[in-house]
Amino acid sequence: MTFLHRESQVDLTDVVAFDVDGALQETAEEARRQSRRMFLRRSGGAALGGAALVAGMGSSTAMAATPKGDVAIANFALTLEYLESAFYAGALKHAGLTGEHKRLARTVHQHEAAHVAALKKMLGSAAVKRPSFDFGSSVMSQSAFTATAIKLEDTGVQAYQGQAAFIKSQAVFKAALSIHPVEARHAAWIRNIGGMAPAPAAFNPALTKSQVLAAVGATGFIKA
Amino acid sequence: MTDHLTVVEFDDDEAVAEAMAGLDEAGATRGGLFRRAGAVAGGLGVAAAIVPGFLGATANAREGGSKKEDVKILNFALTLEYLEAAFYAEAVNRGVYSGSVLNFAQVVASHEATHVATLKSVLGSKAVAKPSFDFKGTTKKWSTFLRTAKVLEDTGVAAYQGQAPRIHQNAVLGPAAAILAVEARHAAWVRDLLYAGKSVKPAPEAFSTPQSMSAILAAVKKTGFIKS
Repeated sequence: MTFLHRESQVDLTDVVAFDVDGALQETAEEARRQSRRMFLRRSGGAALGGAALVAGMGSSTAMAATPKGDVAIANFALTLEYLESAFYAGALKHAGLTGEHKRLARTVHQHEAAHVAALKKMLGSAAVKRPSFDFGSSVMSQSAFTATAIKLEDTGVQAYQGQAAFIKSQAVFKAALSIHPVEARHAAWIRNIGGMAPAPAAFNPALTKSQVLAAVGATGFIKA
Repeated sequence: MTDHLTVVEFDDDEAVAEAMAGLDEAGATRGGLFRRAGAVAGGLGVAAAIVPGFLGATANAREGGSKKEDVKILNFALTLEYLEAAFYAEAVNRGVYSGSVLNFAQVVASHEATHVATLKSVLGSKAVAKPSFDFKGTTKKWSTFLRTAKVLEDTGVAAYQGQAPRIHQNAVLGPAAAILAVEARHAAWVRDLLYAGKSVKPAPEAFSTPQSMSAILAAVKKTGFIKS
């Protein structure tokens, strides 16, 4: 059965259709090849690496009673939301979006900013800092924006889904559950705009944290 | 008016509010819905085998809830999926749709049928029987079909989101989370078909709102779609 894939992946074959200059495919292929070990070695001090996620955990006050694992998961989510929020802001500024693309970007940007704010509030002093980003050509045209947004949203859904079973605190779990289906709605919306199947499978696949980090790391979007 | 369509859309005479006053009783007397939710499902081993595909995790028990409650939750989900699957099958079988509406109906019909089959296999002998349905002509015209689909999908999202924190076993949470995301995709899809360029958005809010099992059951009951 198709939904039993052990190693769930972003549907890269679908992304390729929009990847005009092949850059996205290249990074996606790289992400695919990258083993977890390789990623951790490379990203030692990088913002998305384990070091930064762990660093935020020591000084928690707002989440003092929250299991450390949940703080790490919330910071993992916050990092993805920082990235998404910045991506839509950049696209709205540079990509010359029109019509439904613009409507989606404005709406989703508001949502991602609200997710950032909510996660930061929940994490308090334990929240990781906002990295700096460079989205390169992905925010410079409507077609590149669409292809990248599809990949980011699909990855976001898979990331939240992959962490669900590891969350211990009901408060953190419910917060994640309120965001998870919204990312899925974003994904379906941008896919429909881009002419791709909005719901490509009966069961949404999940990604592990290391798979998500490898995929994000390979985009080069996070500078520091 | 179309901006805030919810399950309450069907609540013309406030019967939902009324029913919600007697929630527990409604749940307990809900005919075949939960009657068989007595013990651990023999089929949960199937879910345990499925779970790595959804979560990459081992099938640990979660805090709160119980295996018995999980059976109840799974049968609740199965009932909603029976309803959705039958609704889309009827729409497809009418043979009146084409293009993007037909594509939506066919794809979602297939997904809901897969959800039914999976939940049934997970529940094994504990699975509730399929009710009989009367969709009251809502599948005849594309406008009422899509508007009803939108309500059903938004309801499905709220239902799975509401039950997820109550699930005891990760083996059950895995499929539930995987379905939650797909119902949300369906909901956004049908909203885009209905309202592209209009004020109703595929993703109307930054945060999704859960609904309790009782509230969902009351809303579904009010539709009159479930005959027995």
